[in-house]
Amino acid sequence: MGASRAGDWWRPFSLVGVATVVHVDLTPHADHEAAAFGWLDESEQTRWRRFHYPGPRRRYALCRAALRVLLCRRLGCENRRLAFASAPHGKPSATVDGSPVPVSFNVSHSGCHGLIAFAPAGRLGVDVEERVTHRNLDLLVETVLGEHEQAQLARTRGDARTHLFFKLWTMKEALIKAHGMGMALDPSRVEIPPVMLRGTTQSTLESPEMPGVRWRLDDLGNEQFAAAVAHELGTDSGSSGGNGRAPETPAIS
Amino acid sequence: MASTAERVRQLVAENLEVDGEAVAVPADLSVSLTDVGVSSMEFVAFAKVIVAEFDVPLTPDDCAGFSTLKDLAAHIDAQAA
Repeated sequence: MGASRAGDWWRPFSLVGVATVVHVDLTPHADHEAAAFGWLDESEQTRWRRFHYPGPRRRYALCRAALRVLLCRRLGCENRRLAFASAPHGKPSATVDGSPVPVSFNVSHSGCHGLIAFAPAGRLGVDVEERVTHRNLDLLVETVLGEHEQAQLARTRGDARTHLFFKLWTMKEALIKAHGMGMALDPSRVEIPPVMLRGTTQSTLESPEMPGVRWRLDDLGNEQFAAAVAHELGTDSGSSGGNGRAPETPAIS
Repeated sequence: MASTAERVRQLVAENLEVDGEAVAVPADLSVSLTDVGVSSMEFVAFAKVIVAEFDVPLTPDDCAGFSTLKDLAAHIDAQAA
């Protein structure tokens, strides 16, 4: 298929426990975009046409095609057998010949960067954001941050403030996406462990907003973007839960 | 006073952008914010802007669920009635 002729536009990015994270290059590239389009099924091509602007169209095609290639490799299936659906709050799921795939995944993109996270089991959420100054940043701060988080942000200035906001946003968004309730969940009530605001890049947490679940949370931000991954922990010593199977060795390239 | 549709259109122009460009909305509001490519962060902020402007309840999830901005304007009018 076209992806190999055009060269891959994704690469391994991070190993997070039993989860694997792949970076997707979303910079404009005619060959990559043409190859990606060839991987989309009819409904995805229709979705692609509905986007009004080239940026969102490009990000959708490059991420969805990369996801298709990587799932097909992992599952050993042909692309035509793979289909996607969305849950009520937008979380995507995949099937092969109508059966749910035995792998957890989640996708995020922002600007020129996409991230795809995979895990053997357990709910999984990923978020990436380019740190572009938002015109409604103060409104977002009031809306998505809890009282202590707002107080912490109030003690920072300039770039440090922007970095801290995006760090908090991506961690909350990753947790909310993993949980599956999307924007129906109040992000200000999903409190990020304070140690992660002070530079710790990995922690575990439980939230009253998401009762009965313990999450592993990883800050994957770098100089180019803010990013985080949240993964549901099982009850068996920190492996991913969900279906009770032993974790597989990540096999994404 | 401007109609709800005109105010919604103005709020989109003032508050939403894609890749640094303001979002252009047709006069009949026959466009979906999802199809525009608005991010979840933009949805959260825009829902708050709508709530502040019209004093109606609206969540980001509601905002993302409307097929077109025309439906959002109709929802606002129905809530305010």
